[in-house]
Amino acid sequence: MNQCERDLHEALRRREPPVGFEAKVLARTTAPHAPGTFSWRWLAVAASVLVIGGTVVIQEQRRAESEKAKEQLMIAFRITGSKVRDIQARLDSIQKRVVYPQLNP
Amino acid sequence: MTKAEFESSVREYQGMVYSIACSFFHNATIAEDVAQEVFLRLYEGHRNVEIGAHCVAWLRRSTVHRCIDTVRRASHGNEISMDPLPDIPVDAPETDPLLQEHVRRLVASLPEKTRAVMVLRFGEDLDADEIGRTLQMPVSTVWSHLQRGTAMIREKSARYMKEKENEPMRTRSS
Repeated sequence: MNQCERDLHEALRRREPPVGFEAKVLARTTAPHAPGTFSWRWLAVAASVLVIGGTVVIQEQRRAESEKAKEQLMIAFRITGSKVRDIQARLDSIQKRVVYPQLNP
Repeated sequence: MTKAEFESSVREYQGMVYSIACSFFHNATIAEDVAQEVFLRLYEGHRNVEIGAHCVAWLRRSTVHRCIDTVRRASHGNEISMDPLPDIPVDAPETDPLLQEHVRRLVASLPEKTRAVMVLRFGEDLDADEIGRTLQMPVSTVWSHLQRGTAMIREKSARYMKEKENEPMRTRSS
């Protein structure tokens, strides 16, 4: 072994870890949500729930909006129908007076 | 490996794992983080790791790969700084502490694969076959990394020694 190799052996010889290292490792293994043991599986599940929930909410909103639009359309038809009937009645009375005045003295 | 065996493995091999990371980075904080991550990975897969030689090989391989990954990640972002390490060796023979510090810095500045080979050879006393098995590389590649690494360290150390010898003369002349 030459001097350089001896220097390398000396410089890289084993060192003691800092005090409390073992306790820190064991604490991290018992921590419920230790950063090192974070599971991507749970993140994927949470993301899926979020996407499915969001889709359901959006669909429900669209259904409610279409129901409301349908209701408004029906009201509009009803209003239009009554107006048309009203105008029709007026036209009938005018026609009776103008075309057949002898019948309506 | 049971949980109790895992705990005794942490106790038994913490010095080995920490030393490899320390020699690799020359930075106590990063070395501690890496060593903790290695043991957490062992904990996650401890049922598949057998106690004894298998566990030692697993820990060495995981530590070196984790170190290389950390260097590669750091090279895309922040550089890893080198800290002067507190000198707490297991057995301290009488040597020049400044020279040792310098050699450790030189090792930590080598390319990551060469560095891994040098740390396993001179820190862990593994032979080329064992290093090849640990790093999953051919023995010829291990030898070439060893030669290259040793040559770089020798050259830079010689330059350092020469500068150190000239230092008092420069101080006197100025």
